[in-house]
Amino acid sequence: MIDHEFQKSGYDLESILARRRKEKEEARAALKKFLLISLAVVLVLAAAFIFTTVQINKIQAYNLQVDQGLIEGTVDNDISVYMAARVCIVFAAICYALFMLVKLLHPKRRKPNRSFWGDLGIYILMAIIAVAMAFPLVFSIASSLKPLDELFRFPPKVFPQHITLDNYSDLIVVLGQSWVPFSRYLTNTVFITFVGTFGHVLIASMAAFVLAKYDFPGGKFFFNVVVTALMFSGYVTGIPNYIIMSRLKMIDTYWAVILPAFAAPIGLFLMKQFMEGLPTVLIEAAQIDGASQLRIFWSIVMPNVKPAWLTIIIFSVQNLWNTNASTVIYSESKKTLVYALQQIQAGGIARTGMAAAVTVIVMVVPISIFILSQSQILETMASSGLKE
Amino acid sequence: MTAFIKRYADMKKEELRYNLHKASKMKMCYLFLAPYAILFFTFFILPIASSIFFGFTYYNILEPPRFIGLQNYINLILQDEVFLTAVKNTFVIAVITGPIGYILSFLFAWFINELPRWIRTIAVVVFYAPSIAGNAFYIFSIIFRGDAYGYLNSFLLQFGLIDAPILWLLNPDYILPVVIIVILWMSMGTGFLSFVAGLQGVDRSMYEAGYVDGIRNRWQELYYITLPSMKPMLLFGAVMSITTAFNVCDVPRALAGYPSTDYAARTIVTHLFDYGFSRFEMGYASAIATVLFVVMILCNKAIQSILRKVGT
Repeated sequence: MIDHEFQKSGYDLESILARRRKEKEEARAALKKFLLISLAVVLVLAAAFIFTTVQINKIQAYNLQVDQGLIEGTVDNDISVYMAARVCIVFAAICYALFMLVKLLHPKRRKPNRSFWGDLGIYILMAIIAVAMAFPLVFSIASSLKPLDELFRFPPKVFPQHITLDNYSDLIVVLGQSWVPFSRYLTNTVFITFVGTFGHVLIASMAAFVLAKYDFPGGKFFFNVVVTALMFSGYVTGIPNYIIMSRLKMIDTYWAVILPAFAAPIGLFLMKQFMEGLPTVLIEAAQIDGASQLRIFWSIVMPNVKPAWLTIIIFSVQNLWNTNASTVIYSESKKTLVYALQQIQAGGIARTGMAAAVTVIVMVVPISIFILSQSQILETMASSGLKE
Repeated sequence: MTAFIKRYADMKKEELRYNLHKASKMKMCYLFLAPYAILFFTFFILPIASSIFFGFTYYNILEPPRFIGLQNYINLILQDEVFLTAVKNTFVIAVITGPIGYILSFLFAWFINELPRWIRTIAVVVFYAPSIAGNAFYIFSIIFRGDAYGYLNSFLLQFGLIDAPILWLLNPDYILPVVIIVILWMSMGTGFLSFVAGLQGVDRSMYEAGYVDGIRNRWQELYYITLPSMKPMLLFGAVMSITTAFNVCDVPRALAGYPSTDYAARTIVTHLFDYGFSRFEMGYASAIATVLFVVMILCNKAIQSILRKVGT
């Protein structure tokens, strides 16, 4: 690069350096200008925000006095205009903040086919949608921390004013009163989740191993059937499954939940697709060294597919943790945690706070597992494609 | 002609012998496959087969099934008005949430693809969390509560857009839109993860080559380069989104009640539950399940043939 520049300028080092200095100064001046404009924008927005807030408070106080009959007059309806203005100001501020962020983060050399304004528009859109998507979850956490009077305040506020853990302690009290101890439900769910996941990982990866790495008659056909079965959720097969379970005398036992979970098609599917990415040379080398198939599976393939393991563990845990199993388990002492919690949720208005606490407890486990393992999951999902 | 058939039969016989020979040499493979295959057969194939069989019978668990031919299907179409409502609702939900959820999850995955790694991680968690949050959609029953304390109602009242609270979850006009919104909120599922991961794996040099070959904006790049190289993930995502779109059950049951007002939120699966687990008419419920299988398989075939044409 510098050679080329050097040649073009007629080997005049001084002029090149001078131009570089000038470019640098220009860049600094542009940055200064940009920061000044930003400062001005921030000041204007802040002033407008303070102004509208003051106005809103003033009108609210005035309206309150009118309501209570302290002064004569009518209720001032301009308040909604100011409120709308305030929302607009906040929105503009967020947009501007994103604009600055994109401008500062943006690489100087553009990638091909990407315009600055297009990027900015997409980022703003994504930010809005992300806030909208996160709102219900944030909101359920916020309501679980509200005291009862704030849950029924009009107009309702999203964030609690006085944070309490009353809802959680009430939940513990209610669970303590049920005739089946709470720990029993927890043990049931933990047992089902643990055994179901363990068996699923073992059985599904054994099957995935031979389907991915050996060409034997019927293997491809079997895999296609499994892919078709991906479409059938547990609801649709629920009825015949119930009949089969009752024939097998497994109604009202944990096995009615655990055994179908062993054969979940999604686990086999992801495992097989991931194992196909393993070099076949590895297996052939082990074969030549005289390893048995079992040994190849256990000490060569399994250690190398850890991301896939983790992924199917997580899918299986999510699935089993959230199952309420209400159709196959009837005795109270065998019911799952989610089932017990749903019963509390069904308690109506008086249990609104507790219901929010339940929601938080149920969702925290799968989401935190996902956060901890998301890089491994994404690695596995990269090979999840369905070939034609 | 006969000679031809004979040769064909010989060829098949030879093929079979070869396969059997191969199979006998690979006994170990079948042994590995066996545990999964047995369980899969018992809990996936057998249920599907038996629900096709029970669809032709009257069966209430207590008495042995009695063969009644096509009577269940005839009743389903000609007599059961609730079923037709359920079919209509399911199709409305599937046609809206399926494609929109699918396209949105691809677009979001594509938009966040070029962000710095840490922002991308946060975005993936935010978008994916609703679909794994268990029954977190319960919170929508507070947002859409029918009295003035419901968040949406109080918001609309405050801004003077409505003058009386709306019974979002009890008024048949509003139930279905509310259910659709909640399902869309939860629609960034496994398919979304597959797209995010797949987009990271697209060969970068293809984009540069495309630029040299005259691709001038991001949409052309999407259509000519990104989509064709994402085809396997697109097919997988389609299967997943068909599954979620047709098996809507929990959300309407939890939000709109079971049964909902005027059956406004009745779907095929809740109808099936009603007959299977409340009335124990297993034969009839199996007929409903069979209809659902057929619809889902047909949809899947149609969508796969559409996706094959993308970007070529």
